Amino acid sequence: MKFFLTSGRTIDQGVALEGQKLGRENIKACAICEFDKDDFKKLDCMIGTPVKVTTKFGEVVVYSQITEQGPHPGLIFIPMGPWANAIIDPETYGTGMPSYKGTDAEVEVVKSGKILSALEIVKSYK
Amino acid sequence: MAKVVKEDVVCPFCGTLCDDIKIIIEDNEIIEVDNACAIGTAKFYSSNVSEHRYTKPMIRNNGKLEEASWDEALNKAAELLANAKRPLSYGWSSTECDAQRKAVELIEICGGILDNTASVCHGPSILAIQDVGCPTSTLGEYKNRADLVLFWGSNPVHAHPRHMSRYSDFIRGYFRVDGRLDRTIIVVDPRNTHTAQIADMHIKINPGEDYELFNAIRAILRGAELDVKKVAGVPVKQIKELVEILKSCKFGVLFFGLGLTMTKGKHRNVDAGISLVRELNDHTKFNLTPMRGHYNVSGANIVFTWSTGYPYSIDFSKDYPRYNPGEFSAVDILKTNDFDVTLVIASDPASNFPKDAVINMLKKPLISIEPHKTPTSEMADIVLPPAIAGIECEGTAYRMDKIPLRLRKVKNAPEGCMADAEIVEKLIEKVKELKGE
Repeated sequence: MKFFLTSGRTIDQGVALEGQKLGRENIKACAICEFDKDDFKKLDCMIGTPVKVTTKFGEVVVYSQITEQGPHPGLIFIPMGPWANAIIDPETYGTGMPSYKGTDAEVEVVKSGKILSALEIVKSYK
Repeated sequence: MAKVVKEDVVCPFCGTLCDDIKIIIEDNEIIEVDNACAIGTAKFYSSNVSEHRYTKPMIRNNGKLEEASWDEALNKAAELLANAKRPLSYGWSSTECDAQRKAVELIEICGGILDNTASVCHGPSILAIQDVGCPTSTLGEYKNRADLVLFWGSNPVHAHPRHMSRYSDFIRGYFRVDGRLDRTIIVVDPRNTHTAQIADMHIKINPGEDYELFNAIRAILRGAELDVKKVAGVPVKQIKELVEILKSCKFGVLFFGLGLTMTKGKHRNVDAGISLVRELNDHTKFNLTPMRGHYNVSGANIVFTWSTGYPYSIDFSKDYPRYNPGEFSAVDILKTNDFDVTLVIASDPASNFPKDAVINMLKKPLISIEPHKTPTSEMADIVLPPAIAGIECEGTAYRMDKIPLRLRKVKNAPEGCMADAEIVEKLIEKVKELKGE
């Protein structure tokens, strides 16, 4: 399914970044993709089922979730962190600021996908 | 040991710099945090020694980080910096102003690039402010006077959790005696955010179309008739209603967030927002303030500006400061591979930068001044663990409205851990020595 991806701060992500970046808290807070309720029904899976989000800049596997901040049909949200940053548009268009908010994305359900930790994602870049 | 209570402590998390935090300490451990939000509370507790915190410097040997002495780690870091042709230094927003002042000296000596987190935060806002100015005021004035609060691309319930209760929504002010009942709150956001859910009006804008909506509002404000039914997904009828509310308030304020700076248009979105605020002043009193994220990112911009003339993205390779976001900004320098060493302080770019930039950062030596284990510090070649500013050492920080507040020391740092400013000072001495200055 095709979506428009955006990323940003959440309070859980903020709590997790204070001294727990390598821990489970960070995965629970940030390795998630929030869907609009009706969009999620079309995915036809249980809440928490891993989904692969692919953009032209990369792909990442995260847990699926229904948003509390909807409705926002057609829009998916991944909290800021290495999971979102694996797939956002790095182009700064001469401003210094990458395009963290606003990338076309494709989502597919992957029932047995492994969710990497923050450090595992970064280590995979080395 | 007796419990020690510290009151009116300033929270070193976000740009709201709440200054009413109560901390209870026992045996140099924080055992209670009162008044802070969930994130601020987590930050204070994170200063307690745990498996998440470094207490000794680390150096990478044969691929593994191992404990080292301070002298050994500082010498190695200074050697890397002194021998580098173009070191990049990034971070500086979650520390206090004295460390920021010394950062300028260190990177000037090294002929490197100095950038702070504004470049991936409100950097585009600074570009817009440099273009068209910024009619602004302090949070205290907004609290006492504002009867209209417009949050655009900003979700303070999550990002600045006590902003609304302290300054912009529920709080009673001198002229806003009924608090929330005396204010109209409007949120412009593509999502029905938790902030939008408690607002009086939610303008559901199409993502990435802020520039169009700002200019449609400006056109209607000037009396133009639009020949379309919707702009940026918002019905023209609703835009007209919004314009009437904006015009008729006594004192309005636009708080804007990264929904403007990180989307298509970037600084042009903010430019249009500032222009709208300027034009609203023909009808009423209206101001704006960017919702700054890191607690002292405002300070980083201010200190770098009074030291070099420029707020971020500064290059010293020609022995004098040059400024060019898009070229000397950390993400662009990393993407173009135009650096040979990275010094990161109080930041975690491995988590926060796009993949392409991180891949290049990890190819070259990396020094991290960081109290906690983060993906950046765990991939670094040298880790220098500091005392946490605002918890374990004093300093000055600038709130999002550029008001300086004094941070307090409430507990001791782990033995041997120095303040960021002291670490940078030692690096300056050693780099000067190595360069024969």
